[in-house]
Amino acid sequence: MSTDYAYDEEGYLWPFFVFTLALIITLPLTYLLVKRSRDPAASFPRTHINFKHAHTDTVDSLRKQEKRKDRKLWLVFAVITGWAVMGYMLYLIQTTEAPTHELWNPYDILGISDSATEKQIKSTYKKLSLKFHPDKAKPDPAKNETIDDLNSRYVEISKAYQALTDEDVRNNYIQYGNPDGKQGYSINIALPKIIVSDGNGKYVVLLYSVLFGVLLPYLVGSWWYGTLRRSKEGVLMESANRLFREYKESIDEGGVVTALSTGKEFEELFKGDKADSGLSKVESRILAEGELTPLAGGLSLKDKEKLEDLESGPQRKALALLWAYLGRIELDDSELNKAKFAVAPIAHSLTKAFNAIALAYMNTGPLLASYYASQNIIQALPPKSSPLLQLPYFTPAVAKAVEGDSRVHSSVQGFMDRPDTKRRSVVVGKNLLTEEQYREAISVAKQLPYLRVAKAYFKVTGERFIIPSSLVTLVVKGRFVPPGSEQVPEINAADLEDVDPAEDDLDAIAGRKTRKLVGKDEKTGKPIYETSETELVAPPLASAPYFARDHSPRWHVFLTDSKQGRVAVPPFTFAQFDRPVFEADGRTPTFAMQTLKAQFQAPPQAGHYTFVMHVVCDSYVGFDTKMEVTLIVEEASKAAEMEVEDEISEPEEDSIAGIMHAAKGGQPKRRKQKDEEEEEDSDEESGTDDEDDDTSATNTDTEPEN
Amino acid sequence: MFDIDWRGLLLPLAYLVVLVGTFMTFSTVYRKRKALESANLAPWFGPHLQRNIYLSLLHMEPDEGSEKSPKVPDSVIRAALLRRAVEDIHRIIQIRSAKQSCSSLLQRGSVGDDLWQRFQRAEKEMEEELRDVVMEANALVPGWGQIIFQSANEIAANKALRNRLEEIEAQTVQDKEWWEKRRASIKTEFMKELDEESAKGQAKAVSDDEAVLVDTNTPSATPSGASRKKKGKK
Repeated sequence: MSTDYAYDEEGYLWPFFVFTLALIITLPLTYLLVKRSRDPAASFPRTHINFKHAHTDTVDSLRKQEKRKDRKLWLVFAVITGWAVMGYMLYLIQTTEAPTHELWNPYDILGISDSATEKQIKSTYKKLSLKFHPDKAKPDPAKNETIDDLNSRYVEISKAYQALTDEDVRNNYIQYGNPDGKQGYSINIALPKIIVSDGNGKYVVLLYSVLFGVLLPYLVGSWWYGTLRRSKEGVLMESANRLFREYKESIDEGGVVTALSTGKEFEELFKGDKADSGLSKVESRILAEGELTPLAGGLSLKDKEKLEDLESGPQRKALALLWAYLGRIELDDSELNKAKFAVAPIAHSLTKAFNAIALAYMNTGPLLASYYASQNIIQALPPKSSPLLQLPYFTPAVAKAVEGDSRVHSSVQGFMDRPDTKRRSVVVGKNLLTEEQYREAISVAKQLPYLRVAKAYFKVTGERFIIPSSLVTLVVKGRFVPPGSEQVPEINAADLEDVDPAEDDLDAIAGRKTRKLVGKDEKTGKPIYETSETELVAPPLASAPYFARDHSPRWHVFLTDSKQGRVAVPPFTFAQFDRPVFEADGRTPTFAMQTLKAQFQAPPQAGHYTFVMHVVCDSYVGFDTKMEVTLIVEEASKAAEMEVEDEISEPEEDSIAGIMHAAKGGQPKRRKQKDEEEEEDSDEESGTDDEDDDTSATNTDTEPEN
Repeated sequence: MFDIDWRGLLLPLAYLVVLVGTFMTFSTVYRKRKALESANLAPWFGPHLQRNIYLSLLHMEPDEGSEKSPKVPDSVIRAALLRRAVEDIHRIIQIRSAKQSCSSLLQRGSVGDDLWQRFQRAEKEMEEELRDVVMEANALVPGWGQIIFQSANEIAANKALRNRLEEIEAQTVQDKEWWEKRRASIKTEFMKELDEESAKGQAKAVSDDEAVLVDTNTPSATPSGASRKKKGKK
């Protein structure tokens, strides 16, 4: 038995092989390309804004440039090549006919039917042999026949005859399908014959060594060094290292801006003589006297000193341009103006790295400073300036008209809460706003997503008390109330409650479903909920006409210890919400109650813990909430008593919650301080009691900010 | 007895040589580069000015022409050493507070490996520095080594407090100016109001209609505003 591996000589198999290979490579690449080229920002709602400043075109072109950079040319090329190869292979498959190996059939050769009798076979054979015997038949030149053809035809005919009459030959035919006995079979490899033919071997070896000796190490190496080059936050590792060195416990927003200028990204942006060109011009502009601030760039004297201490070079230029950007200073030079708008997105990406560093230190001040710096960069506002400048057409002169000589800045909410006639009379006028500009500013202000916290409380799922070391959920209930909204509906008390999902409802426990409030049970007054699949809704992209990127606003919720100035529970970030923020038209607020939940571990000792809760939005200035919340941790024995009374024991609850906590990457709390006034008389003190406390705290704290 | 076909073996041998050679060059180049990199890492702290002053005081070069080096008074040397200790305190506080966050950031991949190397080197240097200061202090005054860092710590804390105070006090001039201006503007506003009222009073005497108009206008604006504000707040 001979086994014979043949290469694909006829060239009808290898197109299949190449087609499959190309398909495997091209399909994922195509998916990648399609997914990439669809603009991710397009799926987000946007704020309706018609405001155009002098450099809107520059900002837009920078935005587009960034999107183009995202689309990789090699990917397009690879996909096109892949599809071209596949198309050609399909064409080859279609056109190349596979050689047909017909079954050897003696009846066909003799030209008789399968049911012919022996007599018929014999007579046919005789007739054919008379006709086709090589001695008798003459080769027909018209049909291009030779003697050999005639011979072979006669052999075939006699073979067929034997197969039908001779016993041995017939057996062979029945068993192996061939009168000559068993035939060797062949296996074809779907590779073209060329690659094994003499002389081509060295090219194949060369190809292999390039593939495995050069390309593979190159790919692995570039991937590995690529991951080493960038930190987890996506900035260059060197920049992260420098930011770590710049961290100081007493750093403020201006200090953060100065620290951000150390980024290595700026060195790449300002290479060679770009590092110094126009630097003196920028500096003279930002250090000129400003309208509201002593310096036009909005930098404090301390920041000015820091700027002047720097050696001239990329860092100094980046810092000067950053201040020019924050102070919205006209530089009268298209190149410089473009650079001014280009540094801001880089600085914003660096704030993320700085944020991670501040978080590792767990100090409140620097963490807040990093969030504020992010807000300032997105809105192009210098630190500690009026939040009113976020509104379109608002210039320092307009802000001054609103605020007067007051040192405390008026927030957008405060300004919008004034009656329309009053605020109009203040800001509309000569050298201030025109009527049209005023209307546009108000319409934008009424679209800003200001999260007004209604209530914040702690709870443990399925328990009435918070016992030491249990998994506590901080529930923050709030509504998006854009500044100046009229006819805000009353808060529905049922909305403020957070009902535990049923114990058997695993989907709800794992957070895969949300419940919608349907109504109230008339007898018991308990709210009735309807569960539905979670569909998270993103708020509109940040309205930031000066920031050359699309940014989806995020809210960070964290707890701090005000006495020690340390972060007690690290931030939980929310970029999407379970209820829509605006109606389908994108303008009318829904005033739906949003629920933000953060889980952390309770302190190991019982007692009253007072935290300051911060809700910080990273895109808008002055939209932050700061309020006191008290966590009451009861002795474990008390909860045990309760359990005996209620006969509720649910050990699994804890474990599921524990798993969820671990999955969310929760961190155990650090503070172990115990309050002095730990009382045992808190028999009546139940969960609702402390909720009431919190509500009152909420009201008093949020009131002045509204 | 074996007939070795050397020419046939040439190819595999060449293969082996190339393979081993590549690995060896790669590893030596890589190691050299690594060593160079870590040698060129920037130091964590800048130059230690106080230490340099102390050392130069200690090893004063003789002036040109004279044989003996100038005599530095002991008190000056001690003061210089104390200053050096104060600077060390600043540095050690910085290192202690940074250690935990640096290692956690390294684990998370938020900062690079070379930062950690620099940090560890700085830590070791600081240990050496502290030991050196203690030894120097003991050499100057027996037993001073035990307490020099206590006093340095107090000096450092005091200095930090003073700086903060100065910062706050520097603000006062600005605040005063602002308040003067504010007071003046409030004053002028009040005066204006008073003038207006008196003018109004006169106007009232002249014609009643006008006064009524003014009176109805002002209160009507306020309550509607208040009610709207209330609405907005809910």
